[in-house]
Amino acid sequence: MTMNILPPNSSAIKTRFAVKFIQAMKRLSKRRGMGDRYKRYRATRAAACVSMASAVGPEWAWSRAVLRKIKRRRLLRQFRVSRKRRLIERTTNPRQNLGFGQEEDLRGLVPGGKGMDYCSLLSETAHYITCLQAQVQVMADILHRSSP
Amino acid sequence: MEPNVEAVQPQFRSGISGAKIVFDDIRGLIPDPPETDGTSFTALLELPPPQAVELLVKEDFPAKTMPLPIFPSNIALIDRASMFSVFASADNPPDRTNIFSASSSVKQEPLESEYHRNSSSPAVSDQSLKSIKRKEREKKNMQVKESTKKSKKVVANEASDGSGEQLPYVHVRARRGQATDSHSLAERARREKINARMKLLQDLVPGCNKISGTAMVLDEIINHVQALQRQVEFLSMRVAAVNPRIDFNFDALLAVDSESSIDNSYLGLFPPSIWPEGQTNGSRQQQPWLIDGLHLPSMGRVDNSSNFITPENSLLSYDSPANSASLHSSQLKIEL
Repeated sequence: MTMNILPPNSSAIKTRFAVKFIQAMKRLSKRRGMGDRYKRYRATRAAACVSMASAVGPEWAWSRAVLRKIKRRRLLRQFRVSRKRRLIERTTNPRQNLGFGQEEDLRGLVPGGKGMDYCSLLSETAHYITCLQAQVQVMADILHRSSP
Repeated sequence: MEPNVEAVQPQFRSGISGAKIVFDDIRGLIPDPPETDGTSFTALLELPPPQAVELLVKEDFPAKTMPLPIFPSNIALIDRASMFSVFASADNPPDRTNIFSASSSVKQEPLESEYHRNSSSPAVSDQSLKSIKRKEREKKNMQVKESTKKSKKVVANEASDGSGEQLPYVHVRARRGQATDSHSLAERARREKINARMKLLQDLVPGCNKISGTAMVLDEIINHVQALQRQVEFLSMRVAAVNPRIDFNFDALLAVDSESSIDNSYLGLFPPSIWPEGQTNGSRQQQPWLIDGLHLPSMGRVDNSSNFITPENSLLSYDSPANSASLHSSQLKIEL
């Protein structure tokens, strides 16, 4: 079982994420064709997610799912090829949740959550939460330093 | 002695399930700290057969559902655990249950220490006999510890967690009065895993410790994830708005003038919750975004700003020692 790598590693992740994110933002600002538009916001958001996922690494399923999604979107944008959706077979768990539909909500929230069993969904959620917190802190930090 | 035990077993299976046990006599029979260098198993063997049979009464003896042919490498672990549980009768029960209940972290050291004490585990040549003996020993242990009825063994979890998914079978000791067939055992192990991870999540999400009940905890977790995602989107919108005006020089970003005290600057920067709206988590502290209060170059204000920071996680942002922060800055410079 992969143990949850929690706060002890969060500073390393923050550093990696900060580096990648700043590089991506530099590239973004140099790119032409981005006026004062919604596009820039979406590109920034995508850059944030991608740099976080690549800082985390392929060990975690959610980061793999994020990278897959971005790659797919990029390819779609370039080649306009419509792809077949892969049908991911969900493992039927004998253990059912308390029936408020929380499990499916959680699966919808966590990237890549649809193809996981409940156990790994929970651990992926835990790691995802720590990475999101790290991301928020770094981005706030960057914002802060760049506009006093 | 061993053939006796084997012969006893089929008789037991047929009929004695309703017999009562008088625990006091049995406890009197069993030496309290076992003098034998071996295990309590030898103590069991020293008892005359009918009493040994009586010891086996309490649970149905599912000889056929025992994973006889499958002996993964954690036999030693199970031996250790069972022996540990025996010798822990002198110890405090909380120690044992604490150790056993930590299923998500593999705590090998206490088991190891106990194991060294009983280093002469019964060297039994025949594997089937060994399994029978282990079951007997476990049952005997369970009955000896009558006071701690909920003695569940999480060695199975440790074993299954420690060795990953290579184990085809999960060895879990059945609780008193519970079924011991493989399906329910696997189900129980899985439930333990799920509960352990829910506990982790509860620790992670602020304010979930007080909530009892899985449904509300899950709701809190979902709210927390949604709030964090919204925060990320909001921040990225702000960064996108700022972006054309900023050169993204690393010098400007890192505030070179404050190199020596850069850790303070990191520490002093942000409260965990950035804006008052959009916070669905009620327990989260509502703090306005103190932009004017947190000027970076003015180090004198840092102490003021630190008052606004919740002790939760902002003090640990990036790292308290300065070397990591300066490493960060040098890294960023190199990346240029």
